[in-house]
Amino acid sequence: MQKLLMSAAQMPEVIRQIAQEIVDAGFSDGYALVGIHEEGVPLSERIADEIEKITGHRPPLAKLDISMYRDDIGKTKHLPRIRETVIPFDINDRALILVDDVLSSGRTIRAALDAINDYGRPALIRLAVLIDRGNPEYPIRADYVGKKIELPADRCVTVRFEGEGDPGVFDELWLDKHLSDKE
Amino acid sequence: MQWNRKDLLELYDLTPEEIELILDTAAEFKKVSQRRVKKVPALRGKTVVNFFVEPSTRTRVSFELAEQRLSADIVNVQASASSLLKGESLLDTIKNIESLQVDLVVMRHSAPGAQAFIARHLNCGVINAGDGAHGHPTQALLDIFTIREKLGRIKDLKVTIVGDILHSRVARSNMWGLLKLGAHVTFAGPSTLVPREFEEVGVRVCHNLDEAVADADVVNMLRIQHERQTLGFFPSTGEYSRFYGLKEETLKKMKKDVLVMHPGPINRDVELASSVADGEHSVILEQVTNGLAVRMAVLYLVAGCVKK
Repeated sequence: MQKLLMSAAQMPEVIRQIAQEIVDAGFSDGYALVGIHEEGVPLSERIADEIEKITGHRPPLAKLDISMYRDDIGKTKHLPRIRETVIPFDINDRALILVDDVLSSGRTIRAALDAINDYGRPALIRLAVLIDRGNPEYPIRADYVGKKIELPADRCVTVRFEGEGDPGVFDELWLDKHLSDKE
Repeated sequence: MQWNRKDLLELYDLTPEEIELILDTAAEFKKVSQRRVKKVPALRGKTVVNFFVEPSTRTRVSFELAEQRLSADIVNVQASASSLLKGESLLDTIKNIESLQVDLVVMRHSAPGAQAFIARHLNCGVINAGDGAHGHPTQALLDIFTIREKLGRIKDLKVTIVGDILHSRVARSNMWGLLKLGAHVTFAGPSTLVPREFEEVGVRVCHNLDEAVADADVVNMLRIQHERQTLGFFPSTGEYSRFYGLKEETLKKMKKDVLVMHPGPINRDVELASSVADGEHSVILEQVTNGLAVRMAVLYLVAGCVKK
């Protein structure tokens, strides 16, 4: 059973707020957004759109796939499909804002930090997420949060921007999600 | 589409979607080798045994480098230095190796099906690095990857493989992979080396080189092994070269953007004129580069299905 956590109509305002906070932080020129696959990529594009509306300047975007940096290869039933990593700029000495849809255990971000490290040495890294579940297994916190939600461990949060199904943020039982993934 | 196999034995076993998944995954691993840090931690803590019962240089080096770039620990076992020479059976040797908590075995063996046999008895993953004249799946995958990268697709392309098809695992694996992805495959060479039986699975068999390559998008020239001559498959390497070697004159009659491939090692001016091997149509060195990416992808996918 799915429960709506954030409607498609509510998402633009939440994303605009994240963008405003990033602008207010006053990063030096050349800061960039790095979207983590899957849903961090469309989220980073939407945040960049909003930043452009506020400042008239669109920050450069990168896409990052963290599959090769996971700590559970051989431990899960399936490996996720590797998506395209595209970092069209030099990350050395640049401020980077990692963007992901949901901060849960923190393991994805741990992997992303390792991946970034192999591409260079950024000046600083911050983290923006649409949903913070507030149950990290690693000492990792988000700097820019759309919405904080506390949920029991057997439920998972699904963020959808496009593709099949209604856009929005939903929570559902792990089991239900697993069944729908199998189809 | 999800990868579900702990072994890669032959392309014949795979669906078109599984082959495409390997190729897509390889495209991302290719980028790793172009980075400043040419290494990812995907196979950190995993142990891979390269067990080459038949000699190999380029495949073994390619696998070894792929394993290193995935951060795996590596053990190389060569037949000449193994207890197989003391009379131990293949299965006993492999079982002993597995007892050392190995995750993957990459094996080359002269007996067709040797990898399929050990895979049935092992919990660790098995990757076929060549079994007799039967299969060489990672070579075919790197050939197909190279074609797809250069021409953008496989479907409906005309691919001609020339040479000693009879003894070639490269030809057989390419055939299965290419047919599954919708290419048209032609085998060409002397009738002693290109059996008609391949027509039964949908391959065009042709004994005239000009005819075989006239409308080809890709020509893959196999190495002709000199020892075959003494066995009487063809009268002399000179004659083989005259009839089936790819020369500048033949190239001029072919499609303008044809790809010339060779799995190596080349016999220059036997199956392939030196100028063609080094010419603008040749993608032979890119095949080697892509082999590394393809092997990284295969190791990664297979490791993901080895449960420990």
